[in-house]
Amino acid sequence: MATATYPPPPPYYRLYKDYLDDPKSAPEPPPPIEGTYICFGGNYTTDDVLPNLEEQGVRQLYPKGPVVDFKKELRSLNRELQLHILELADVLVERPSQYARRVEDISLIFKNLHHLLNSLRPHQARATLIHILELQIQRRKQAVEDIKRRRQEAQKLLQEALGTLEGQ
Amino acid sequence: MDIISQLQEQVDTIASLTFNTIGSLQRDAPPVRLSPNYPEPTANPPEDFPEQPKSMSAALVKAAKQFDALVAALPLAEGGEEAQLKRIQELQAENDVVGQELQRQLEAAGKFLMSSHPYCANWKMLLQIDG
Repeated sequence: MATATYPPPPPYYRLYKDYLDDPKSAPEPPPPIEGTYICFGGNYTTDDVLPNLEEQGVRQLYPKGPVVDFKKELRSLNRELQLHILELADVLVERPSQYARRVEDISLIFKNLHHLLNSLRPHQARATLIHILELQIQRRKQAVEDIKRRRQEAQKLLQEALGTLEGQ
Repeated sequence: MDIISQLQEQVDTIASLTFNTIGSLQRDAPPVRLSPNYPEPTANPPEDFPEQPKSMSAALVKAAKQFDALVAALPLAEGGEEAQLKRIQELQAENDVVGQELQRQLEAAGKFLMSSHPYCANWKMLLQIDG
């Protein structure tokens, strides 16, 4: 069993010796990566989208199209799931050797369910963004009102002070 | 926890109830007599075996109903992606307008402060306004 010491840290620290005096003498940080990159022998992509079911080799049970009625499809998939479970129980009683097909159907339904739920996430992200923007606008409007009011009050106080001073 | 994660957890619950139900019924059910040639097999079902199918199927149906209730509670806004993006753009424009208004008010307040308190050098430094 051979042991080895850890590799030394990369020698790039020497390039930053005069960074405090002259920030431009040291190399710039690397620019952000675009497209695909290789990390420890694995390929990764910077474009994170949910791959649709066909790409994963799974049959899609709900109708395709630009807009999917999520609630309706989720409910109908739930009903299908229950029916399939019942079917599996029946098959196990009558023809126990034919369970495989039913189990496959059930796992297909589960994969479709999870895929539908995952495709709701971008919608959720946009809805969260809308909510945050609305909150921010409301807070800013409140701040504007507060500042206006305080300015007016301060102005009034100054005028009163001037008035009393002149009155004396 | 947000509703989509709750839905995902509910799906996983239904899955585990399914395999637990099928698995324990398979394991505990008394064997069946296959042909008149073989004798009747000995059966050793566990204590609460007659109630197991009823309670397990009740749990399964309850989980499915819970899933339906969660689906009904989904706050799916009208319109698709385009409607949401349009709303985001509107909100961003409004946010910019209000932000500029806020900036103007802040500057006016700063100037006002400076004009009425010319001795306050520390205020000047705090607000970082030349004025």
